[in-house]
Amino acid sequence: MSIGELLSQYGEKYLQALLTTWQLTFLSFAGAMVIGIIITVMRACPIKPLRAVGEFYVQIFRNIPGAALLILLVYALPNLSLVLPYFQCVLIATTLIPASFASEYLMSGINAIGIGQIEAARSLGMTFATMMRTVVIPQALRFSVLPLTNLLIATMLTTSLASQVPLNPMDLTGLVSYINTRVAGGVTSFLISAVMYCGTAIIIGQLGNLLDKKVRIMR
Amino acid sequence: MSVHQQSVRDALYETPGSGARKAIAIVTALSIIALAGVLFYIGKVFYDNGQFDAKYWSFFTKYTTWRFLGQGLIGTLEAAALSGITAFIIGFVLMSARICHYKVLQMVSVAIIEFTRGVPTLLLIYFFFLIVPQLGINLPSIWRIALPVAISAGGVVAEVLRSGVNAVPKGQREAALSIGMGEVKTFVKIIFPQAMQYIIPALIAEMVIVVKDTTFAYVVNFPDLMQDAKVLLSNYDALLSVYLVVAVIYILINYLINKVSVVVARRMQTTPATR
Repeated sequence: MSIGELLSQYGEKYLQALLTTWQLTFLSFAGAMVIGIIITVMRACPIKPLRAVGEFYVQIFRNIPGAALLILLVYALPNLSLVLPYFQCVLIATTLIPASFASEYLMSGINAIGIGQIEAARSLGMTFATMMRTVVIPQALRFSVLPLTNLLIATMLTTSLASQVPLNPMDLTGLVSYINTRVAGGVTSFLISAVMYCGTAIIIGQLGNLLDKKVRIMR
Repeated sequence: MSVHQQSVRDALYETPGSGARKAIAIVTALSIIALAGVLFYIGKVFYDNGQFDAKYWSFFTKYTTWRFLGQGLIGTLEAAALSGITAFIIGFVLMSARICHYKVLQMVSVAIIEFTRGVPTLLLIYFFFLIVPQLGINLPSIWRIALPVAISAGGVVAEVLRSGVNAVPKGQREAALSIGMGEVKTFVKIIFPQAMQYIIPALIAEMVIVVKDTTFAYVVNFPDLMQDAKVLLSNYDALLSVYLVVAVIYILINYLINKVSVVVARRMQTTPATR
């Protein structure tokens, strides 16, 4: 099909699909940050069992394939009398997986600070809370801007999992599959979605670079 | 890495005094109780829904079950290996184009790399599954999964390779040129082997992403672990147990790859050239 035919027939659907992908991406990323921070606090706290749980979470969710997790949520949970709507299943999968990576990046952000600064803060008589608030967390966040930007892009790519379940409206990947199982959409039908994905990724990347330049610590 | 990690996060706290030690002991005990409670609750949900019934688990003691899953695993590993090798070739070509002297080739390479990094693997899979046949090209089913996965990983591999090449000290190239080696020979004999030293761990870690992406093989009907799991669960009518076992297998494979990458990285920290 030519681009004109595609856009006149499916233009609105593409727009809706773009919005669905954006919606999934930003909801997932926000959730992933919240869970990622909680997991990081657990991994950094002095309570051994909580540390173990944090490490366990990260090892599970950074290694499980998205498709395997989604299938467990969609098909296996009903066997435990827990039936979730498709959208929520996708959202949970695309949140839990990036959360493990968010925790990894935040953790290496903390590691990048260096023991010397922490010792210096303590020798100044700072309490633990003051030290975390004024020395550790601000720097850890600054160090993590670029990795977290890449994580936001990766989260967007993960949301293509939504194409594996029936959603209405569909996401960008699901729509390409939908169109091409009905008509011969051709390369153009793929390129429209691809350009929308790439455009989003480029915008996110540019904003991340700007933010990083603003907050980076020069040494 | 892990040694360093331990020390920084432990440096956050002072050596606890007697009061703090007591508090830590109490919170530790409470957290163990809470964890036990959560595990018990999960166990209870499984039990209440009859998921511990022998019919859901007994077939895992059969040889045929594991042979069947093993066949699927071999399919997964075949697809992953093929994708990995193809991704390396694609990455190498893209990297070479990006560092060559021709502006046009550089720009094309950058565009392709950005494209592969901004498009989900699944979209590429649907491209090769639904759209490429429309053009009259019929690929064997293993390539319908291996090629999109490889293209998706190829962009990352190109950037990893480039960072390795950039990490080789300039003096190495200058020295090679000054003893009369040509540009190509310098690259093949001097630069590239050293670059590989820096990046082998990153390349191994990239295989995790390749293995994960091959789980979409069911989309193109290639018999991998996931596809075989589907057959198995319909034979025994045991959804949860089969998918749980398969998920654990994937997690273990990827965990292992990550571990290998870390070990190799530690071994390789020995003396690359410094100038």
